[in-house]
Amino acid sequence: MLTLQNVTVIYPDKTKAIDNLSFTLGGHENIALIGENGAGKTSLLLAIVGILAPAGGTVEVNGIRLCKKTVNEIRKQIGLVFQNPDDQLFMPLIYDDIAFGCRNYGLPEEDIEARVDETLDLLNISHLRGRSSLKLSGGEKRLAAIATVLAMNPSVLLFDEPTAYLDPKAKRALTEVLKKLRHPKIIATHDMVFAAGVCDRTVILKDGRIMADGAVSLLSDNELMRRCGL
Amino acid sequence: MHMADALLSPAVGGAMCAVSAAANAYAVKKIKKDDLCEKKIPVMGVMGAFVFAAQMINFTIPATGSSGHIGGGILLAAMIGGFPALLSISAVLIIQCLFFADGGLLALGCNIFNMGVIPCLIVCPLVFKPLLKNGRQWGRIAAASILAVVVSLQLGAFGVVLETRLSGITALPFGTFLFLMQPIHLAIGVAEGIITAAVLCFVYKIRPEIMESTFDGAAIQNGVPMRNVLIVLAVVTLLVGGALSLFASSYPDGLEWAVGKTAGVEELEADGAVFKGAASLQEATALMPDYDFKDAGEDGSGIGTTVAGMVGGVLTFVLAGAAAFGISTFKKKRKGASPA
Amino acid sequence: MKDKIRQLYALEQLSGGHSFVHKLHPAVKLLTAAVFIITVVSFDRYAFGRLIPYVFYPALLMALSETPYSMLLKRFLFTLPFCLFAGISNIFFDRASAFAIGGVTVSYGVVSFFVIVFRVYLCVMAVLLLVSVTPFAEITASMRRLGIPAVFVVLFEMTYRYIGVLFEEAYSMVTAYSLRSGGASGIGMKDMGSFVGQLLLRSFDRADRVYSAMKCRGYALRVFPRGRGKLERRDWIFGSVTCLLCIAFRIIDANALFAGIFRGIA
Repeated sequence: MLTLQNVTVIYPDKTKAIDNLSFTLGGHENIALIGENGAGKTSLLLAIVGILAPAGGTVEVNGIRLCKKTVNEIRKQIGLVFQNPDDQLFMPLIYDDIAFGCRNYGLPEEDIEARVDETLDLLNISHLRGRSSLKLSGGEKRLAAIATVLAMNPSVLLFDEPTAYLDPKAKRALTEVLKKLRHPKIIATHDMVFAAGVCDRTVILKDGRIMADGAVSLLSDNELMRRCGL
Repeated sequence: MHMADALLSPAVGGAMCAVSAAANAYAVKKIKKDDLCEKKIPVMGVMGAFVFAAQMINFTIPATGSSGHIGGGILLAAMIGGFPALLSISAVLIIQCLFFADGGLLALGCNIFNMGVIPCLIVCPLVFKPLLKNGRQWGRIAAASILAVVVSLQLGAFGVVLETRLSGITALPFGTFLFLMQPIHLAIGVAEGIITAAVLCFVYKIRPEIMESTFDGAAIQNGVPMRNVLIVLAVVTLLVGGALSLFASSYPDGLEWAVGKTAGVEELEADGAVFKGAASLQEATALMPDYDFKDAGEDGSGIGTTVAGMVGGVLTFVLAGAAAFGISTFKKKRKGASPA
Repeated sequence: MKDKIRQLYALEQLSGGHSFVHKLHPAVKLLTAAVFIITVVSFDRYAFGRLIPYVFYPALLMALSETPYSMLLKRFLFTLPFCLFAGISNIFFDRASAFAIGGVTVSYGVVSFFVIVFRVYLCVMAVLLLVSVTPFAEITASMRRLGIPAVFVVLFEMTYRYIGVLFEEAYSMVTAYSLRSGGASGIGMKDMGSFVGQLLLRSFDRADRVYSAMKCRGYALRVFPRGRGKLERRDWIFGSVTCLLCIAFRIIDANALFAGIFRGIA
């Protein structure tokens, strides 16, 4: 359960990236976060995990309110998958990348190993375990990046443009994986077909504000899309 | 300016490794004290990779037809501060040594000192920063960058000359060697300096806060006494290393170009005085084992030894080759036999 | 340009092998390589004969680890020009005659020229063989165990990781540039400022995102114990035999002994 209330994010150059935004993500909901470039999708995701400090409003996850003290707890609860997997895979081996988060939270090494293997198995990428991220394909990198987040056992998942750089086959594989994961998710994307396939609800952003919030069928409303700059 | 293991003596190489390791350890200590330590590590890592990538970009030097690439020491020090820059450069040099055989394990100390410690810990705080103390207009940044890069390269080239000479593996006289190295690196330094200046001006125009923050973080840089200690340490180790090893020497390197200059060396060699100097120097330093070739003088017995030595050497090579060949064939056969 | 990055990965691929040499403890491999290099470079510049026995090390290691010879040789040739310069200058400056065979006088310069080339060969092979039989993760693990601070090891790992990424970025920028530059081979000097500056700022931003990604997974500078700890019997045997041989060849003139035997037989 993730609740945002009147969240505002202001960049150092005074532009408002997110403007007084509120919504709730609950149960097994999958939200497609849609909006033109610069609408504030990435900023919103970063604000939820406390990388961008909100200038106002509150973020709450499972009853824990985001503040300086709780930020590590929040980050354990919420897994954010970055747009570019290369930003997320920074260790020499995929194994180390997936173990990274667990190690930071002080799990014993045997538990970490079990968790890494479990995660790799879940995503059907056990063959990547000992590989270096330098040589993976776009689709493999994407799944590995998701694994790095899943290994930490988050209760909510956030995705920033998960279909970027993927070919149709990798996209289908990703769709399967996302359907398999029972976590509530927010997926920021430009890919309407993909969004309609994975999500049950859509939130449309423009200039940091919510323009529409409803069923994914909204995505086929051409008039609305045009108004939102899409 | 990468130096190679092959042209170093263990004394010089070891001494320089000690100095560079100390400088790096000190830099780690300094960075750990910084509150932003955590944040600095990804920045240092990615910037190290940046230097590596940027070095692959060749630029054309106008009117010469030749090309060059950036070195990175001053650029990095200006962007992220001297100590972090030293660590980044060290990481890059280690990777170049291990994966590309640029330089060598023993030569790492020399290379880190010449290309890392000199620009990041000596030139940046003593030349670059003072010039920018009173304002950072376009012209000042450009002048400071060019000067700092030129000074770094001159010092670095001098380091190369000194270190190889103290190692005593080559016979090029000190003066000649210096005379070859310094001007080449002046030219390289000016070109590199102009580019560094252009890059820093560009960065300053678009994202002034990045450079401002390194300058504001100047508190970390106030390690002046330590810097002096480092310089003294370096000089002392060089002297000690020099006393331990032979002296005589050379080996340059921005030197694909300088190889072409061997023609110049040829002319020098025709000059009797230089040659005599070299010969007497060589005599004074020829501390070779008795067996090797010295006894192969005019009398016949020496020749016998020499020939026997050569045949023995050839046989050793053949033996080593045969052993290697035998093992590989055996391995291949076994692989072929096993139903893999 | 692409070639260089392929080199980086090629060695990494080799290091995944399963030979006897691959299985050795990384610290042992590092130590023997260091002892080898130090003993090799400790000879003076005329000691060609003394260096010959050392050729066994690269030859046997290469065979045992099944490392392709051509690849290492190519790299050796690539590093050679710099040292050739030094060697050639020796030929000119060091003209005292060392010995004569059949009326042809060979000078000390020529001898030292061959010594330099041979030294380069031995040292380069030692380093390349070390890396081609040791996975990167094991190299960093032994760096940690050798007491190198975590700050530096993490930085080292990240540099290695991002070389590939930034390289791709630089490469596509260069391609885009050359497609519109009318066939010039490099970047014009006047464009270099903004060109490299762009790459630099992008790298800087990337570092920021990487840091965010690390923070999202609870990053704080902590030391993780990792890698193999204990030395096994084969590590002891390989390490001690190799090191002792290196040192023995430093003290005993094996080539002269060999030559003596040869002369005795003749």
